[in-house]
Amino acid sequence: MKLPVFLLLALLPSVVSAEADRAKSFGNPGAPLTIELFSDFQCPACRALHMQQLPLLIRDYINPGKAYLVYKEFPLNMHKFSREAAAYACASARVGKYEQVADALFQNQPSWEESGKVFEIVASVLSPAEQKKVQALAKDPSILQEINSDVQEGQQERVNQTPTMIIVRGGKKYPIGGSLNYDLLRRFLDDLLTK
Amino acid sequence: MTFSRSRAGWAIHLLLRLVVGGVFVYSAWTKLREPWSLFAISIDAYHVLPQWGVMAVARTLPWAELALGLLLIVGLWRRVSTLAASALLALFFGLMVRASVHGEAIDCGCFGPGEAISPWTLLRDGSLLAGSVFLAVKSFWRKKPMSPRAGGSESLIEAHVGDGRNLTA
Repeated sequence: MKLPVFLLLALLPSVVSAEADRAKSFGNPGAPLTIELFSDFQCPACRALHMQQLPLLIRDYINPGKAYLVYKEFPLNMHKFSREAAAYACASARVGKYEQVADALFQNQPSWEESGKVFEIVASVLSPAEQKKVQALAKDPSILQEINSDVQEGQQERVNQTPTMIIVRGGKKYPIGGSLNYDLLRRFLDDLLTK
Repeated sequence: MTFSRSRAGWAIHLLLRLVVGGVFVYSAWTKLREPWSLFAISIDAYHVLPQWGVMAVARTLPWAELALGLLLIVGLWRRVSTLAASALLALFFGLMVRASVHGEAIDCGCFGPGEAISPWTLLRDGSLLAGSVFLAVKSFWRKKPMSPRAGGSESLIEAHVGDGRNLTA
Protein backbone atom coordinates (compact mmCIF):
# COMPACT_ATOMS: atom_id res chain seq x y z
CA MET A 1 0.00 0.00 0.00
CA LYS A 2 2.84 2.35 0.89
CA LEU A 3 4.71 1.70 -2.36
CA PRO A 4 1.97 2.98 -4.75
CA VAL A 5 1.62 6.17 -2.65
CA PHE A 6 5.37 6.67 -2.73
CA LEU A 7 5.45 6.11 -6.49
CA LEU A 8 2.59 8.54 -6.98
CA LEU A 9 4.38 11.22 -4.95
CA ALA A 10 7.61 10.58 -6.81
CA LEU A 11 5.86 10.98 -10.18
CA LEU A 12 3.94 14.11 -9.16
CA PRO A 13 6.66 16.70 -10.00
CA SER A 14 7.08 15.29 -13.52
CA VAL A 15 3.31 15.33 -14.04
CA VAL A 16 3.16 18.98 -12.89
CA SER A 17 6.14 19.80 -15.12
CA ALA A 18 4.53 18.07 -18.11
CA GLU A 19 1.34 20.06 -17.57
CA ALA A 20 3.31 23.30 -17.33
CA ASP A 21 5.13 22.35 -20.54
CA ARG A 22 1.82 21.78 -22.33
CA ALA A 23 0.63 25.26 -21.37
CA LYS A 24 3.77 26.74 -22.91
CA SER A 25 3.88 24.50 -25.97
CA PHE A 26 2.63 25.00 -29.48
CA GLY A 27 1.97 22.69 -32.39
CA ASN A 28 1.62 18.98 -32.77
CA PRO A 29 3.16 17.00 -29.87
CA GLY A 30 3.67 14.10 -32.29
CA ALA A 31 5.67 16.23 -34.76
CA PRO A 32 8.99 14.74 -35.95
CA LEU A 33 10.95 17.65 -34.48
CA THR A 34 10.73 19.20 -31.02
CA ILE A 35 12.20 22.64 -30.45
CA GLU A 36 12.85 23.59 -26.83
CA LEU A 37 13.46 27.31 -26.70
CA PHE A 38 15.33 28.56 -23.62
CA SER A 39 14.99 32.31 -23.39
CA ASP A 40 15.11 35.30 -21.09
CA PHE A 41 12.51 38.06 -21.44
CA GLN A 42 15.09 40.79 -20.79
CA CYS A 43 17.70 39.54 -23.25
CA PRO A 44 17.90 41.58 -26.51
CA ALA A 45 18.90 38.57 -28.65
CA CYS A 46 15.85 36.68 -27.33
CA ARG A 47 13.70 39.66 -28.30
CA ALA A 48 15.16 39.64 -31.81
CA LEU A 49 14.55 35.90 -32.15
CA HIS A 50 11.01 36.20 -30.82
CA MET A 51 10.10 39.08 -33.12
CA GLN A 52 11.99 38.15 -36.29
CA GLN A 53 12.68 34.44 -36.62
CA LEU A 54 10.02 32.86 -34.42
CA PRO A 55 7.04 33.99 -36.53
CA LEU A 56 8.74 32.40 -39.57
CA LEU A 57 9.48 29.24 -37.62
CA ILE A 58 5.85 29.03 -36.51
CA ARG A 59 4.64 29.60 -40.08
CA ASP A 60 6.99 27.07 -41.71
CA TYR A 61 7.32 24.33 -39.08
CA ILE A 62 4.94 24.63 -36.12
CA ASN A 63 1.69 25.33 -37.96
CA PRO A 64 2.25 22.64 -40.64
CA GLY A 65 2.88 20.09 -37.84
CA LYS A 66 6.56 19.51 -38.65
CA ALA A 67 7.80 20.75 -35.28
CA TYR A 68 6.55 21.07 -31.72
CA LEU A 69 7.64 24.22 -29.87
CA VAL A 70 8.19 24.21 -26.11
CA TYR A 71 9.07 27.46 -24.33
CA LYS A 72 11.49 27.19 -21.40
CA GLU A 73 12.38 29.95 -18.98
CA PHE A 74 16.05 30.76 -18.55
CA PRO A 75 16.17 34.10 -16.67
CA LEU A 76 19.76 35.26 -16.34
CA ASN A 77 20.93 36.72 -13.03
CA MET A 78 22.47 39.69 -14.83
CA HIS A 79 18.97 40.91 -15.79
CA LYS A 80 17.12 42.62 -12.95
CA PHE A 81 13.52 41.96 -14.03
CA SER A 82 13.91 38.68 -15.95
CA ARG A 83 12.70 36.43 -13.17
CA GLU A 84 9.68 38.64 -12.46
CA ALA A 85 8.78 38.66 -16.15
CA ALA A 86 9.20 34.87 -16.31
CA ALA A 87 6.92 34.47 -13.28
CA TYR A 88 4.18 36.56 -14.93
CA ALA A 89 4.57 34.66 -18.19
CA CYS A 90 4.33 31.26 -16.46
CA ALA A 91 1.33 32.48 -14.45
CA SER A 92 -0.29 33.65 -17.70
CA ALA A 93 0.21 30.18 -19.15
CA ARG A 94 -2.14 28.90 -16.45
CA VAL A 95 -4.90 31.14 -17.82
CA GLY A 96 -4.01 30.23 -21.42
CA LYS A 97 -2.34 33.53 -22.28
CA TYR A 98 1.36 32.67 -22.43
CA GLU A 99 1.84 33.59 -26.08
CA GLN A 100 0.08 36.95 -25.75
CA VAL A 101 2.04 37.86 -22.62
CA ALA A 102 5.34 36.72 -24.13
CA ASP A 103 4.62 38.83 -27.24
CA ALA A 104 3.81 41.88 -25.11
CA LEU A 105 6.88 41.45 -22.89
CA PHE A 106 9.25 41.11 -25.84
CA GLN A 107 7.68 43.92 -27.85
CA ASN A 108 7.87 46.33 -24.91
CA GLN A 109 11.15 45.08 -23.49
CA PRO A 110 12.97 48.46 -23.76
CA SER A 111 10.23 50.23 -21.78
CA TRP A 112 9.79 47.82 -18.85
CA GLU A 113 13.47 47.09 -18.46
CA GLU A 114 13.91 50.85 -18.05
CA SER A 115 10.93 51.48 -15.76
CA GLY A 116 10.70 48.11 -14.00
CA LYS A 117 6.92 48.16 -14.49
CA VAL A 118 6.63 44.62 -15.77
CA PHE A 119 3.06 43.96 -14.68
CA GLU A 120 1.76 47.04 -16.54
CA ILE A 121 2.79 45.37 -19.80
CA VAL A 122 1.45 41.97 -18.75
CA ALA A 123 -1.88 43.51 -17.70
CA SER A 124 -2.30 45.18 -21.09
CA VAL A 125 -3.15 41.82 -22.73
CA LEU A 126 -5.25 40.35 -19.88
CA SER A 127 -8.84 40.88 -18.77
CA PRO A 128 -9.35 42.31 -15.23
CA ALA A 129 -10.24 38.84 -13.90
CA GLU A 130 -7.14 37.32 -15.54
CA GLN A 131 -4.97 40.13 -14.16
CA LYS A 132 -6.01 39.29 -10.59
CA LYS A 133 -5.44 35.59 -11.13
CA VAL A 134 -2.04 36.10 -12.79
CA GLN A 135 -0.87 38.50 -10.09
CA ALA A 136 -1.74 35.96 -7.40
CA LEU A 137 -0.31 33.02 -9.34
CA ALA A 138 2.99 34.81 -10.02
CA LYS A 139 3.72 34.64 -6.27
CA ASP A 140 2.75 30.98 -6.04
CA PRO A 141 5.65 28.66 -5.08
CA SER A 142 4.68 26.29 -7.88
CA ILE A 143 5.48 29.00 -10.44
CA LEU A 144 8.86 29.59 -8.84
CA GLN A 145 9.38 25.83 -8.91
CA GLU A 146 8.44 25.74 -12.60
CA ILE A 147 11.01 28.42 -13.45
CA ASN A 148 13.70 26.74 -11.38
CA SER A 149 12.96 23.44 -13.03
CA ASP A 150 13.34 25.03 -16.50
CA VAL A 151 16.64 26.62 -15.45
CA GLN A 152 17.87 23.32 -14.05
CA GLU A 153 16.91 21.56 -17.24
CA GLY A 154 18.80 24.19 -19.24
CA GLN A 155 21.87 23.75 -17.09
CA GLN A 156 21.71 20.00 -17.60
CA GLU A 157 21.52 20.61 -21.35
CA ARG A 158 24.58 22.89 -21.02
CA VAL A 159 22.66 25.99 -22.12
CA ASN A 160 25.32 28.70 -21.89
CA GLN A 161 23.58 31.61 -23.53
CA THR A 162 20.13 32.89 -24.38
CA PRO A 163 18.37 32.27 -26.60
CA THR A 164 19.25 28.61 -27.06
CA MET A 165 17.19 26.20 -29.08
CA ILE A 166 17.52 22.52 -28.35
CA ILE A 167 16.30 20.77 -31.46
CA VAL A 168 15.33 17.17 -30.81
CA ARG A 169 15.02 14.63 -33.62
CA GLY A 170 14.64 10.93 -32.81
CA GLY A 171 16.04 11.36 -29.31
CA LYS A 172 19.14 13.19 -30.55
CA LYS A 173 19.60 16.75 -29.31
CA TYR A 174 21.18 19.63 -31.21
CA PRO A 175 21.79 22.77 -29.14
CA ILE A 176 21.87 25.96 -31.18
CA GLY A 177 22.54 29.20 -29.36
CA GLY A 178 22.60 32.91 -30.05
CA SER A 179 21.12 35.03 -32.76
CA LEU A 180 20.32 32.98 -35.83
CA ASN A 181 20.25 33.32 -39.57
CA TYR A 182 16.79 31.92 -40.39
CA ASP A 183 17.83 30.70 -43.82
CA LEU A 184 20.55 28.49 -42.31
CA LEU A 185 18.23 27.30 -39.54
CA ARG A 186 15.63 26.37 -42.16
CA ARG A 187 18.21 24.37 -44.13
CA PHE A 188 19.20 22.53 -40.96
CA LEU A 189 15.61 21.74 -39.97
CA ASP A 190 14.89 20.53 -43.51
CA ASP A 191 18.03 18.36 -43.42
CA LEU A 192 16.86 16.85 -40.12
CA LEU A 193 13.39 16.21 -41.49
CA THR A 194 14.75 14.35 -44.51
CA LYS A 195 17.32 12.43 -42.43
CA MET B 1 74.09 11.26 -25.78
CA THR B 2 73.28 12.58 -29.23
CA PHE B 3 71.53 9.32 -30.05
CA SER B 4 69.20 9.48 -27.02
CA ARG B 5 68.40 13.19 -27.55
CA SER B 6 67.51 12.59 -31.18
CA ARG B 7 65.46 9.57 -30.22
CA ALA B 8 63.48 11.60 -27.69
CA GLY B 9 63.03 14.35 -30.28
CA TRP B 10 61.80 11.82 -32.79
CA ALA B 11 59.30 10.40 -30.28
CA ILE B 12 57.99 13.86 -29.36
CA HIS B 13 57.71 14.75 -33.03
CA LEU B 14 55.75 11.57 -33.76
CA LEU B 15 53.49 12.04 -30.72
CA LEU B 16 52.73 15.64 -31.68
CA ARG B 17 51.93 14.61 -35.24
CA LEU B 18 49.58 11.91 -34.01
CA VAL B 19 47.87 14.24 -31.52
CA VAL B 20 47.40 17.15 -33.94
CA GLY B 21 46.41 14.80 -36.76
CA GLY B 22 44.05 12.87 -34.48
CA VAL B 23 42.34 16.05 -33.35
CA PHE B 24 41.84 17.10 -36.97
CA VAL B 25 40.33 13.72 -37.88
CA TYR B 26 38.06 13.73 -34.82
CA SER B 27 36.96 17.29 -35.53
CA ALA B 28 36.13 16.36 -39.13
CA TRP B 29 34.21 13.27 -38.04
CA THR B 30 32.03 15.24 -35.57
CA LYS B 31 31.04 17.55 -38.44
CA LEU B 32 30.66 15.00 -41.23
CA ARG B 33 28.33 12.75 -39.23
CA GLU B 34 25.79 15.63 -38.95
CA PRO B 35 24.09 17.67 -41.70
CA TRP B 36 26.52 20.29 -43.02
CA SER B 37 23.95 23.00 -42.26
CA LEU B 38 24.55 22.51 -38.51
CA PHE B 39 28.21 23.45 -38.97
CA ALA B 40 27.10 26.36 -41.18
CA ILE B 41 25.11 27.76 -38.23
CA SER B 42 28.23 27.56 -36.03
CA ILE B 43 30.36 29.36 -38.67
CA ASP B 44 27.71 32.03 -39.17
CA ALA B 45 27.76 32.84 -35.45
CA TYR B 46 31.26 34.33 -35.90
CA HIS B 47 29.84 36.93 -38.33
CA VAL B 48 32.90 37.01 -40.58
CA LEU B 49 31.59 35.55 -43.84
CA PRO B 50 28.67 36.26 -46.15
CA GLN B 51 26.09 33.48 -46.38
CA TRP B 52 27.52 31.95 -49.57
CA GLY B 53 30.95 31.86 -47.91
CA VAL B 54 29.49 30.24 -44.78
CA MET B 55 27.87 27.52 -46.89
CA ALA B 56 31.00 26.92 -48.97
CA VAL B 57 33.19 26.62 -45.86
CA ALA B 58 30.67 24.39 -44.07
CA ARG B 59 30.65 21.97 -47.00
CA THR B 60 34.41 21.84 -47.61
CA LEU B 61 36.24 22.49 -44.34
CA PRO B 62 35.44 19.15 -42.66
CA TRP B 63 36.87 17.27 -45.68
CA ALA B 64 39.97 19.47 -45.61
CA GLU B 65 40.34 18.75 -41.89
CA LEU B 66 40.01 15.03 -42.54
CA ALA B 67 42.62 15.10 -45.31
CA LEU B 68 45.03 17.18 -43.22
CA GLY B 69 44.58 14.95 -40.20
CA LEU B 70 45.29 11.81 -42.21
CA LEU B 71 48.35 13.39 -43.86
CA LEU B 72 49.68 14.37 -40.43
CA ILE B 73 49.10 10.91 -38.99
CA VAL B 74 50.61 9.08 -41.95
CA GLY B 75 53.45 11.60 -42.23
CA LEU B 76 53.07 12.41 -45.91
CA TRP B 77 53.78 15.86 -47.41
CA ARG B 78 54.90 17.06 -44.01
CA ARG B 79 55.80 20.61 -45.00
CA VAL B 80 52.50 21.24 -46.73
CA SER B 81 50.38 19.47 -44.11
CA THR B 82 52.01 21.05 -41.05
CA LEU B 83 51.98 24.49 -42.63
CA ALA B 84 48.32 24.17 -43.65
CA ALA B 85 47.37 22.82 -40.20
CA SER B 86 49.19 25.73 -38.53
CA ALA B 87 47.49 28.26 -40.79
CA LEU B 88 44.06 26.76 -40.10
CA LEU B 89 44.62 26.56 -36.35
CA ALA B 90 45.95 30.14 -36.31
CA LEU B 91 42.77 31.25 -38.12
CA PHE B 92 40.49 29.35 -35.70
CA PHE B 93 42.40 30.64 -32.68
CA GLY B 94 42.31 34.22 -33.97
CA LEU B 95 38.54 34.04 -34.55
CA MET B 96 37.96 32.59 -31.10
CA VAL B 97 40.09 35.25 -29.43
CA ARG B 98 38.25 37.94 -31.40
CA ALA B 99 34.83 36.60 -30.33
CA SER B 100 36.02 36.31 -26.76
CA VAL B 101 37.39 39.88 -26.70
CA HIS B 102 34.09 41.18 -28.12
CA GLY B 103 32.23 39.33 -25.38
CA GLU B 104 30.31 37.18 -27.87
CA ALA B 105 28.97 34.09 -26.11
CA ILE B 106 29.03 31.76 -29.10
CA ASP B 107 29.76 28.10 -29.72
CA CYS B 108 33.31 27.45 -30.83
CA GLY B 109 32.06 24.94 -33.45
CA CYS B 110 35.24 22.91 -32.92
CA PHE B 111 33.67 19.50 -32.35
CA GLY B 112 30.01 20.00 -33.21
CA PRO B 113 27.52 22.20 -31.39
CA GLY B 114 27.11 22.88 -27.68
CA GLU B 115 30.63 23.93 -26.70
CA ALA B 116 30.90 27.63 -25.90
CA ILE B 117 34.15 29.55 -26.34
CA SER B 118 35.84 29.56 -22.93
CA PRO B 119 39.33 29.84 -21.42
CA TRP B 120 39.53 26.04 -21.78
CA THR B 121 38.77 26.06 -25.53
CA LEU B 122 41.28 28.89 -26.03
CA LEU B 123 43.94 26.98 -24.08
CA ARG B 124 43.22 23.80 -26.04
CA ASP B 125 43.35 25.49 -29.44
CA GLY B 126 46.37 27.59 -28.43
CA SER B 127 48.25 24.45 -27.39
CA LEU B 128 47.34 22.70 -30.64
CA LEU B 129 48.50 25.73 -32.58
CA ALA B 130 51.82 25.76 -30.70
CA GLY B 131 52.27 22.05 -31.41
CA SER B 132 51.44 22.46 -35.06
CA VAL B 133 53.79 25.42 -35.50
CA PHE B 134 56.54 23.40 -33.85
CA LEU B 135 55.93 20.57 -36.35
CA ALA B 136 55.95 23.02 -39.26
CA VAL B 137 59.22 24.61 -38.14
CA LYS B 138 60.80 21.19 -37.69
CA SER B 139 59.62 20.00 -41.10
CA PHE B 140 61.29 22.98 -42.79
CA TRP B 141 64.44 22.62 -40.74
CA ARG B 142 64.87 18.92 -41.27
CA LYS B 143 67.58 17.97 -43.76
CA LYS B 144 67.43 14.19 -43.36
CA PRO B 145 64.54 11.91 -42.55
CA MET B 146 64.12 11.61 -38.79
CA SER B 147 64.72 8.24 -37.31
CA PRO B 148 66.39 7.13 -34.13
CA ARG B 149 68.88 5.02 -36.11
CA ALA B 150 69.94 7.75 -38.49
CA GLY B 151 71.46 9.81 -35.73
CA GLY B 152 68.59 12.21 -36.21
CA SER B 153 68.31 15.72 -37.50
CA GLU B 154 68.92 17.08 -34.02
CA SER B 155 72.59 16.22 -34.29
CA LEU B 156 72.71 17.79 -37.74
CA ILE B 157 71.09 20.97 -36.46
CA GLU B 158 73.40 21.10 -33.48
CA ALA B 159 76.42 20.73 -35.71
CA HIS B 160 75.34 23.56 -38.01
CA VAL B 161 74.26 25.85 -35.18
CA GLY B 162 77.58 25.14 -33.47
CA ASP B 163 79.62 26.50 -36.35
CA GLY B 164 77.29 29.42 -37.00
CA ARG B 165 76.19 28.45 -40.52
CA ASN B 166 72.72 29.08 -41.84
CA LEU B 167 70.73 25.84 -41.92
CA THR B 168 68.31 26.93 -44.60
CA ALA B 169 70.99 28.19 -46.97
